[in-house]
Amino acid sequence: MGTTYSKEEILAQQLQTAFEHLITEVVRKDTVFAFATKEQVSSILLYAKEKLGYISFVHLSCVDWLESGEFELVYIIWSPETKINLFVKTRLDRENPSMENTDMIWRQINTYQREIREMFGVEFPGFVGEKEFILEDWEDAPPMRRDFDTLEYVNDTFFEREGREDKQDVRERIAKRSGEEIPDFAKKYSRE
Amino acid sequence: MREKSTTLYLGPQHPGITGNMMVKLQLEGDTIVKATTHVGYLHRAFEKLIERRNWMQSTTILCRFCVPEPDPPEAAFALAVEQIEGREVPERGKYLRSLVLELARIQSFMLWYAGQNGSAGLYTVGQWSVGDRNYVLDLFEELTGGRIYHMYIWPGGVRRDIPEGFEDKVLHTMDYIEKRIDDYDRMMFDSAIFQKRAQGVGIISKEKAMEWGVVGAPLRGCGIGHDVRKDNPYDAYDKLDFQMGIFDGGDVWARAKVRQFEIRQSISMVRQIIQNLPKGDYLNKMPNPMKWTIPAGSAYGKVESVRGEFGFHVVSDGSDKPRRVHARGPAYAHGISLLEDILVGENLADVSFIMNSLGVCPPEIER
Repeated sequence: MGTTYSKEEILAQQLQTAFEHLITEVVRKDTVFAFATKEQVSSILLYAKEKLGYISFVHLSCVDWLESGEFELVYIIWSPETKINLFVKTRLDRENPSMENTDMIWRQINTYQREIREMFGVEFPGFVGEKEFILEDWEDAPPMRRDFDTLEYVNDTFFEREGREDKQDVRERIAKRSGEEIPDFAKKYSRE
Repeated sequence: MREKSTTLYLGPQHPGITGNMMVKLQLEGDTIVKATTHVGYLHRAFEKLIERRNWMQSTTILCRFCVPEPDPPEAAFALAVEQIEGREVPERGKYLRSLVLELARIQSFMLWYAGQNGSAGLYTVGQWSVGDRNYVLDLFEELTGGRIYHMYIWPGGVRRDIPEGFEDKVLHTMDYIEKRIDDYDRMMFDSAIFQKRAQGVGIISKEKAMEWGVVGAPLRGCGIGHDVRKDNPYDAYDKLDFQMGIFDGGDVWARAKVRQFEIRQSISMVRQIIQNLPKGDYLNKMPNPMKWTIPAGSAYGKVESVRGEFGFHVVSDGSDKPRRVHARGPAYAHGISLLEDILVGENLADVSFIMNSLGVCPPEIER
């Protein structure tokens, strides 16, 4: 009797046969990872869509691996026949990151690319989409990068409202003004 | 004679949808020639915040992604974390999750009744359904302590068990709502105004639906049967008997028929859950939440919300904080490129009507 393969293993084998040196991993039920070079991604997406029935594009995500100096782009696609989520993962250099435009394969990718360009600074040459997406008049570093310091940005950009610099407990001022005592149960939350 | 072209900025404040979003419209007469969406009025940097919070603290942020539907994000995140960690959920926990998710669907359907009818000028249905929705929120308040944001679904199960006598209250509320939605339907689907406004408006073609990433009721309204609860069953859905509402046409009418069918399915599922609720643990307890680390790995957790598939791509680097949590909401797919396409050729008065039928929720697009 021959060995029976799970649907996830069959998909991994199909991809490895079609693409040389492609590393695949069956992670768990309904989930398969394919670790591709950035040049391979569009061919894998097109092959999976046209030949393997992965007609539904689910998600495009970017992860910042600051320590290794890389961005990871994760394309998730899904097939109504096998019900498997196929993750196509690729790594980009963090310095001048650039990735091939793939919005002609699925139109929906256009929105994701706009977001990733704005939030991580990844460029998609040849991609047409309005420059601004969520942020307005943003000139600082792309804010979803892990080296963007939110606290420092807030301290530099915004200021304390006048009269609040000492971070005084306003309840005490209200109590003094109204001539009422702060109840005992509330005193333990005092900033003193 | 060629009509004069006008540019109109619809929004960011307008009563058609939940949240603030602007659509820049190029009009000839009152027909739309070009539509450009502008979002960014509700960006709260939730995904950035989550990177600085531990796993448990993240659940308090996740539910705030979309006000009308706070539970699906909690469930999607929990599913993703469980996949990475390999944590099992007790059977009772699974059933209670499905109960909350179906109750959440029912309350969200009722909010949709209000939005969809309100944008067609039929305000009575909206006043009824928003009023009756409070009975479902009462159930949530008793179960979770919160009416809107529940933080009830945790990785490993649910936060607490149901209180005594809760099952009877749920069944009583379901009986009441089932009776009431017959009234809504008479006011809505039998109304000549709604029929004229909805039929043949905001059409999504079957061929383009998959291309555009359409999910949920808009996809099933194109005649394509895809529902996460059927295709990749999670929690207790593989043990429940329910059907997808599949209708042809791809217009606002078909989408409304899908929802009309599915609210009844949700009521039936709530009854099934109450009848078959297993005994036992409701939570596979995690270690001290402040010291809780998740093994390195990534997963995509997805659930079916009223507006369609809601998912999270969760990445862990093995620490006590998520490396990346990226949301994929139905509004993200429906509210930008799809909306810009299907608004062309439509009437100005139908913009918020179409946006409602697609379930566009700006806070979820921007997060």
